[in-house]
Amino acid sequence: MSKDFKLEGVFPALVTPFKKNKEIDENAFRELINYVIDNVNGIVPSGTTGEFVNLSFDEQKKLIDIAVDEVNGKKFVIAGTGASSTKHAISLSKYAENSGADACLVVNPFFLHPSDKGIYEHFYRISRAVDLPIILYNIPQTTDSYIPRRVIEDLAEIDNIVGLKDSSGNLTYMLEVLEKVGNKINVIIGNDEVVLPALASGCKGMILASAQVFPEIWQEMYIAVKNGEIEKARELQMKVQKLTRIFCRYGGAVPIKATLKMLGINCGKTRKPLREGGALLREDKEEIRIELEKLGKVPQKEFKFEILDKPIQARFKDIGLSSEDIKKDNLLVGTCSSGKGLYKVHIDLVFGKKDSSIGIAFAVQLTHPRHGFEALTTILEPNLTCKPSTLIVPMIKLKNLRQANMVYGPVQNAVAKAVIDNVKKNIISKSKVDDNLMIIKVAVHPNAIDRNKLFINCYKAVNKAIIETFRGWR
Amino acid sequence: MPKENWLAGIFPALVTPFDKNEEIDETAFRKLLRFLIPHVSGVVVCGTTGEFVYLSEKEKMKLIDIAVEEGKNKIPVIAGTGTSSTKHTIELTQYAIDAGAKAALIVTPFYLKPKFNEIYEHYEKLNELDFPIILYNIPQCTGIHKKWWTVEGIAELENVIGIKDSSGDMAFLMALFEKIKGKISIFCGHDEIGMPALSAGADGLILASANLIPEIWQEIYKSVKSGNIEKARELQRKIQKLARIVVRCGANQAVKEGLGMLGIDVGNSRKPIMPGGVFKREDREELRIQLENLGKIQKKEVEFEVIEGKIVKSNYPAIPITPKRIKDFTLKIGEGFAGPPFFEVAHIDLMIGKVGGPVDIAFNKAVKREKSKNGKLRVIYEKPKTLLVPTVTVRTKKQAEHIYENASNGVILAIEKSIKDGILPKEILNDIVIVANVFVHPSAENKKRIMFNNYKGMLHAIRKALENRPTIEELIEEKECARHPFKYAP
Repeated sequence: MSKDFKLEGVFPALVTPFKKNKEIDENAFRELINYVIDNVNGIVPSGTTGEFVNLSFDEQKKLIDIAVDEVNGKKFVIAGTGASSTKHAISLSKYAENSGADACLVVNPFFLHPSDKGIYEHFYRISRAVDLPIILYNIPQTTDSYIPRRVIEDLAEIDNIVGLKDSSGNLTYMLEVLEKVGNKINVIIGNDEVVLPALASGCKGMILASAQVFPEIWQEMYIAVKNGEIEKARELQMKVQKLTRIFCRYGGAVPIKATLKMLGINCGKTRKPLREGGALLREDKEEIRIELEKLGKVPQKEFKFEILDKPIQARFKDIGLSSEDIKKDNLLVGTCSSGKGLYKVHIDLVFGKKDSSIGIAFAVQLTHPRHGFEALTTILEPNLTCKPSTLIVPMIKLKNLRQANMVYGPVQNAVAKAVIDNVKKNIISKSKVDDNLMIIKVAVHPNAIDRNKLFINCYKAVNKAIIETFRGWR
Repeated sequence: MPKENWLAGIFPALVTPFDKNEEIDETAFRKLLRFLIPHVSGVVVCGTTGEFVYLSEKEKMKLIDIAVEEGKNKIPVIAGTGTSSTKHTIELTQYAIDAGAKAALIVTPFYLKPKFNEIYEHYEKLNELDFPIILYNIPQCTGIHKKWWTVEGIAELENVIGIKDSSGDMAFLMALFEKIKGKISIFCGHDEIGMPALSAGADGLILASANLIPEIWQEIYKSVKSGNIEKARELQRKIQKLARIVVRCGANQAVKEGLGMLGIDVGNSRKPIMPGGVFKREDREELRIQLENLGKIQKKEVEFEVIEGKIVKSNYPAIPITPKRIKDFTLKIGEGFAGPPFFEVAHIDLMIGKVGGPVDIAFNKAVKREKSKNGKLRVIYEKPKTLLVPTVTVRTKKQAEHIYENASNGVILAIEKSIKDGILPKEILNDIVIVANVFVHPSAENKKRIMFNNYKGMLHAIRKALENRPTIEELIEEKECARHPFKYAP
């Protein structure tokens, strides 16, 4: 048993890179190890993030071998050697021992649910079979059961059971374990969303998927908590909170691999049936990029936000309404901007009778989607279409899903609410909502991130424009 | 007390009618009772469907009084008198005894989650009132699923004459049949498994949907009793979807809206249960279609005026909100959002317009332009002329198949059904055009669902466009609480 192994600090649970032919990509794995190695205390190959259940035993062994070789004694290697049967877990753990790994991470046996006796026996047998430090691994999200606290109490008495990785994120469970066995084994946190509270309550470290994306932030937090700088640690956790939520809840290895690719490390795709577009929607992938931009890990594209200074009557030509149409058909027009910088929202609105030129413009927008300027009918929520029927038309070309999300989400919601609010106040006369239509052109900054700020500014702009435009109209 | 013979058959769990101010609507309640009494073996008042947790003690007493009065010499009245405390339950049960109810339906005490020995004692105290008691297991609401051995033990109390099990857990019911069949009456309270429960030995059903279709449940009950299992099975299958909508989409509001469609206005649930909440707007459309299919909503004459002055009469499955005359076809908007599941959800933006109007002009422009380019739009139906416009740019072969085959087929089927049902009368088909903007999520895979959700979404969108829904009142009512799904970051 390696005497110097210490289960403390930051350990990334590495993804398993695959080549196009679905085989393990050894070069990429080595590249990934070198990307994280300086900022970590050790690495974990063949864990849950490494898709261990979708690897053959030979592949798991290969990963362990590469990890031990590449790390070359500089840091610790904790090999994921869990399996649902005791026999297989023992055989893998023995392999890890011979291969030179420093410890084994053994998951709670899954699929068939053994009794408490069976769970104890599983870990006990493994501990007797190898002379390596063993870390218990509680992850009910995938195993569908907790390692019972009472079983842990007994397992903690075994000399080479040195720790518990708890990925549940359930702090009451974690504190119960800390209270009972915190002085005997090291509890480390495996849930990226609650790292700070876990460290603050006595966890000795972390094994995290996100520790291969920003190991330096976790290292900084780990040291901050050690030094009692809770305020600083809290700020660091908040900085990465949204990313950790996406990683933990939207498919683990899938978003991590997508993120690494954005950082320039191509680890290929996850093995099927897991893939992008499942737990991780393509829309949400855009959110990862936004967060990486905020952290300064990927560069942000420059964009100049300008509204052409034309008279309002001339601003609807692109949707087929000339200033003559507006005059001839007595269409109401209005405009307003609100907010500044990234959160400036500009809107131009036009309103009039269905059987005039605006009716045709409205129908044309919905029958001729212009690429990047797709119009949509405004809803309060699905199956609650706004009245008067209102079309939103983007003014700035939508080039990616994130921009589309901003317009089809907070912007649409704000427009709907502002319109209905003004119907309620009878500024838009209730008796006329069925005979008229509204088209609202909206410009929002392509780099805008905060949805709530967009919502508020968009609401203000639309509300003000309506109040001014409809003044005196009945 | 031995098993009671009267405790068998079909019992609706009555809704509690409210007026616009959320006060009990006594007139509507009497109307409902008179509507149901001829078809049922008895009624349950102040049950879960009756929103008993939202009622004051006084209100429950009032409902019990009215039901007893209306049911006198006709049917037995079972009063829901369960509360979370033993004391209140005893008081209310005592009231029910004095008022002349036949038995008390007593739910497992909820919220503070008593242990089974405490639950046992609860019923033991009620047993001392010397009045028939029916146990009520509904883990969906109480959070506690009684164990068969708890029921077996409580069934020993001499005044316990039955149990209603709403869990839908057939294995639990089977254990009850094995242990206590014949000792007390065993009722199933889960509409989706009414027929199998009766076949396996249930003595009767207490159901929310028995407010809407009492005579069908009665027929199922009689068929099983007379050994005609095949017929009972067919009937259950006929109402399966309605039962699923009622049970899974917030029974009380669903039943209330259903009764409204049948012309019995019982108002809405008390808040926070509300229209468009657990009982979603798409469920409302589907419930209506089910009631039409079962012949409960009958066709009425509705006038269409597409061309000014030219009136077309249609035999239309109208409900109270349907206008008597559907007119102004300049540009009608309808929306249809229908699931499940998430990836295959359909979202249809529909325009219906008269020939020569804005929709027709846009339609013709689009067709002309499409001829010169690689077509993204398709004319998918001739009468009425219908254009399909994909909302999301089609990038892959798979997406093209989803839109132009699966979703398109659903849209076409919906148009055909609408024509058949008189929603789109044949005489106007040459005078209107339709544009359907169709959304299919790029992650969708289940082709059958894409087809079916688009069928549903299109059916709903057509009806909503013609009937001018949602109403401005609905929009104003919900503008604050509406939940836009894309407003939030992960």
